[in-house]
Amino acid sequence: MTTEDQTISSSGGYVQSSSTTDHVDHHHHEHDSLNPPLVKKKRNLPGNPDPEAEVIALSPKTLMATNRFLCEICGKGFQRDQNLQLHRRGHNLPWKLKQRTSKEVRKRVYVCPEKSCVHHHPTRALGDLTGIKKHFCRKHGEKKWKCEKCAKRYAVQSDWKAHSKTCGTREYRCDCGTIFSRRDSFITHRAFCDALAEETARLNAASHLKSLAATAGSNLNYHYLMGTLIPSPSSQPPPSFPFGPPQPQHHHQHFPIPTTTFDHHHHHQDVMKPASSLSLWMGGNINHHQQVTIEDRIAPQPHSPNEDYNWAFGNANNRGELITTSDSLITHDNNINIVQSKENTNAATSLSVPSLFSSVDQITQDANAASANMSATALLQKAAQMGSTSSTSPTTTITTDQSGYLQSFASKTSDQSNQIVEDGGSDKFFALFGSNSVELMSNNNNGLHEIENPRNGVRVVSGIDELQNYPWKRRRVEIGNAGGGGGQTRDFLGVGVQTMCHSSSINGWI
Amino acid sequence: MTKTRILNPTQFPSPKPLRGGGDANFMEQLLLHCATAIDSNDAALTHQILWVLNNIAPPDGDSTQRLTSAILRALLSRAVSKTPTLSSTISFLPPADEIHRFSVVELAAFVDLTPWHRFGFIAANAAILTAVEGYSTVHIVDLSLTHCMQIPTLIDAMARRLNKPPPLLKLTVVSSSDDFPPFINISYEELGSKLVNFATTRNITMEFTIIPSTYSDGFSSLLQQLRIYPSSFNEALVVNCHMMLRYIPEETLTSSSSSLRTVFLKQLRSLNPRIVTLIEEDVDLTSEGLVNRLKSAFNYFWIPFDTTDTFMSEQRRWYEAEISWKIENVVAKEGAERVERTETKRRWIERMREAEFGGVRVKEEAVADVKAMLEEHAVGWGMKKEDDDESLVLTWKGHSVVFATVWVPI
Repeated sequence: MTTEDQTISSSGGYVQSSSTTDHVDHHHHEHDSLNPPLVKKKRNLPGNPDPEAEVIALSPKTLMATNRFLCEICGKGFQRDQNLQLHRRGHNLPWKLKQRTSKEVRKRVYVCPEKSCVHHHPTRALGDLTGIKKHFCRKHGEKKWKCEKCAKRYAVQSDWKAHSKTCGTREYRCDCGTIFSRRDSFITHRAFCDALAEETARLNAASHLKSLAATAGSNLNYHYLMGTLIPSPSSQPPPSFPFGPPQPQHHHQHFPIPTTTFDHHHHHQDVMKPASSLSLWMGGNINHHQQVTIEDRIAPQPHSPNEDYNWAFGNANNRGELITTSDSLITHDNNINIVQSKENTNAATSLSVPSLFSSVDQITQDANAASANMSATALLQKAAQMGSTSSTSPTTTITTDQSGYLQSFASKTSDQSNQIVEDGGSDKFFALFGSNSVELMSNNNNGLHEIENPRNGVRVVSGIDELQNYPWKRRRVEIGNAGGGGGQTRDFLGVGVQTMCHSSSINGWI
Repeated sequence: MTKTRILNPTQFPSPKPLRGGGDANFMEQLLLHCATAIDSNDAALTHQILWVLNNIAPPDGDSTQRLTSAILRALLSRAVSKTPTLSSTISFLPPADEIHRFSVVELAAFVDLTPWHRFGFIAANAAILTAVEGYSTVHIVDLSLTHCMQIPTLIDAMARRLNKPPPLLKLTVVSSSDDFPPFINISYEELGSKLVNFATTRNITMEFTIIPSTYSDGFSSLLQQLRIYPSSFNEALVVNCHMMLRYIPEETLTSSSSSLRTVFLKQLRSLNPRIVTLIEEDVDLTSEGLVNRLKSAFNYFWIPFDTTDTFMSEQRRWYEAEISWKIENVVAKEGAERVERTETKRRWIERMREAEFGGVRVKEEAVADVKAMLEEHAVGWGMKKEDDDESLVLTWKGHSVVFATVWVPI
């Protein structure tokens, strides 16, 4: 027996193994300088090796040996002594099946013979022989087993087998091109992948076009949830596609084909003014655009910039806007900028409308140019000019822009999926409204408190104290029709349409 | 007669020939000696040991060496902060890797590399889904280190529940702290909007809320918000704590019997949540003594270094840079700067029970799901179910890594 570690000695004698081959190098007995033992469980692998356990170090040869138990008659090798004994029966040799020696079986742990290995040390020993054998093979052995389908190689045959079973069997493919073998990974990736937004945008566009063709002339309400899209029924799984019943005439055709300008919008706006508060967006091209109207309901409620955030937040990510010409994604940045550009000049906006279809950059330029000129106070003034009944100017402003915003959403065609979230676009927007939020808040009214919109449960927690402590950061992006929201929508439209917009925020706008 | 390898700490370990590899025990001893030297302001000895360590533990060696190198770097950082003149004499350490700032897609792939987080995700989601059966609104407060990476699969699971409409889902998070890794490169607003978008595609109505609140005061504003706006009718409040509560200061920081951690749990209890899931790493890094902390760190962080063998080199760099960050925080920082205050499962269970929570066993199905998940990863990963405290523990080569527990008010 060779001993590599001269500082270790054992209290007991050697434990005789049942093997006839010389495989045991030495034993050592770990003492209580190790971490205190965890509660012993009757499990294979203790949390930390039991200090009472016997540490066994086998030589590499022994570990790798597959058939350590040899029959003396015919030389046949067996992996286990029990098997050898049974074989010996065939030779009419005396055989004996060893029972478990005693109830008090000393727990054995095995170390890896490879000195540089982390499992070489007794504190990192592994609890079972098979485990250490496989470990040694995997870590320090040659990878002899190769998968046919992919490039993976394995040192342990069972690993190779296990892999071959699953290799290439199930594949989940994201639109961005990445392939996953695990569903969970696919789901998590997909939730955050920009390709999802593109996909929903495309599906919405497709379904809108379909519905356009199918229901020519009818007025359809198409509602978008803030920041989300309801994919068309053709998508998988097929979510419900919210189509509203026909709209009153004056409501529809508001959202025209891209080439239209703001005129429609403004017209619409006037018409809609007295209507209720829900703002509904129509994706791009489709028939109706529900204009958010400023309304007195909002008036008593102080509007917090947070609403703006929400709105912008939802919108900005509302990639599913209908698109006529092509699939596109609106970058957050662009959306925000567009809003701002609306502030500036209608001309700029209408100019940008066609440009929305062509390139994002141009829009960004316009928007940037616009935003550069627009300060918070200017926005407030602009808002005040709008025919809003709301006491909260910023709300008004944003509301007004909304249709333009929506328009641009709808018409946005650039494919900016890759650059969407990296830039500071959102920061810009939020900076515009956010950094000024305190100002706006104070402008609005100091009695600002909780804005409760019971219709759709959107809550904006305002509170000057909070502002003082934190930058305004509470956001809510609400999608879908929470309870009362639906009712409101119905009233507004006169039809039972699912509200999927961020109604409360709309209210804030209005 | 028994003689052990671990010698009396006041002596140097018996000199071992320095081979290409290294002996974990030897390195551990050297590190502990170095820590002692630093804390006793023995600059010469510190310098000496650091030099030796640097030679036997290159940052690109095997997993033990890389671990040692990370701790070594942390010790150096600590030494320099105590004795600034030391930095001029020690020039041999290469600079640490920069911590990567992830895009959400990158982070999604990253947390997926090992069961480290997936384990907790699956166990918690299973428990949550069971607990919210029958509720029409589910309000999830996600206090997670992983920036909501658990949520997509939860949304998906909710959407796939058959023969019943999915509930309204409200997701509340606290503003991203950016004080500890992993760091992401987008705002929570953007992240939330993506989730909302995703939820919609799965036909789930979702609200996303960010509440400005910080771990350093025990998330008091979050709790306040939750108190002010109690659950509505048939709404289930779910609080999912995934490796986040460790940042709330505990008794050794506040040096009082009632720490912010205790207060947090008590106040959480008073909100009467439907279910609380607590997933944490099973190691005690709160000891006030550096030597003990270092020992715990050494005997725990070898695990992540060991699991990265299957990673690609870039991912491994990112991963190990984050572990190194944590190690540095544990070893080199003190006071409020030391944010990584992980406690053991046993301690957390004590705390939860004190706060009047009762443990709930994870269902067999979920256990099977976890096991199936583990099969998708390297063979060293395992799991054990502890019957006496209803916990599930993720193991690496038998050693406890992460525990998952589920709690309800009692």
